[in-house]
Amino acid sequence: MTLADLIRHEPNAKTLQRWLKKIPYAVYLGLRAEVHDNDILFILPGNAKLIGNPTLPAIHGGVVGAFMEQAAAFHLVAKMDNPVLPKIINFSLDYLRPTRLRDTYAQCTLTRQGRFIANVCITAWQEESDKPNAIARAHFLIPEPVKEE
Amino acid sequence: MPALSASEKVRIINQMCGYIPHAELQGICLESIHGEELTLRLPYRQELVGNPDTGAVHGGALTVLLDQTLGLAAICCDQVQATMTPTLDLRIDHLGIAAAGRDIFAAARVYKVTSRVLFIEGFAYCESRDTPIARATGSWVLMSGLNLAELLGSEQAGAQQQ
Repeated sequence: MTLADLIRHEPNAKTLQRWLKKIPYAVYLGLRAEVHDNDILFILPGNAKLIGNPTLPAIHGGVVGAFMEQAAAFHLVAKMDNPVLPKIINFSLDYLRPTRLRDTYAQCTLTRQGRFIANVCITAWQEESDKPNAIARAHFLIPEPVKEE
Repeated sequence: MPALSASEKVRIINQMCGYIPHAELQGICLESIHGEELTLRLPYRQELVGNPDTGAVHGGALTVLLDQTLGLAAICCDQVQATMTPTLDLRIDHLGIAAAGRDIFAAARVYKVTSRVLFIEGFAYCESRDTPIARATGSWVLMSGLNLAELLGSEQAGAQQQ
């Protein structure tokens, strides 16, 4: 089953973990997802291979961005009426403090979903959710759903 | 302050790509330097795929490459001279798809330096620099008092002692 099929046929947040396992880059980063009530928590486990600054040590800023982008995409998929893989249009990321070598968490807000475009805000933190390490905003293009034959 | 020569920039970039574990693991390497514009290469790997149905590289892998390239442009900027420069913000517009099996290149240059902030722009491409797959712009903070040459020197000394 292709990823597109998996998303169309099992469109609920509990299948997020299975979706993540379909994406080689998400597997490489070690991303995980947990569903608590109606909230999805994304987790980037601390791993030495993700280090960008060995002196602190801190996780590579690009990896933090990649984690947040993937979290946003799957948060959006989980909220869609007709789930399809969205295409990233643009991504804007503010770094607030160094992301240390430990687990990082992300939560997303679907700010607006139109017919073709969605806007998602992402917050990433480590120790306390009100002390974010980075915040980001992403626009996605939602492809036309494939018609069932 | 004299401008860094091209060979000094090559040395700094190669040292930094080896010093940053994630960049080294990605195989990110220097492709070319033309004046103040530098270009890095990210070799294609199956692990970088974001869409398993098409084999296209994940947007996040591009974010890593662009953050790395724009960040190294900051370090090699003639007015900065190898100081630590953390990323303040980064924006990426995705203009196309990084197709399966293709290495990705990213070029960057600093277009404005103030006493505290560097403004940097760049783009990523596969086939030709005339057809970019992504454009990036961002700002980097100038941290005075952190000499990168000394830091790299001490890391090397540490490695030699082991």
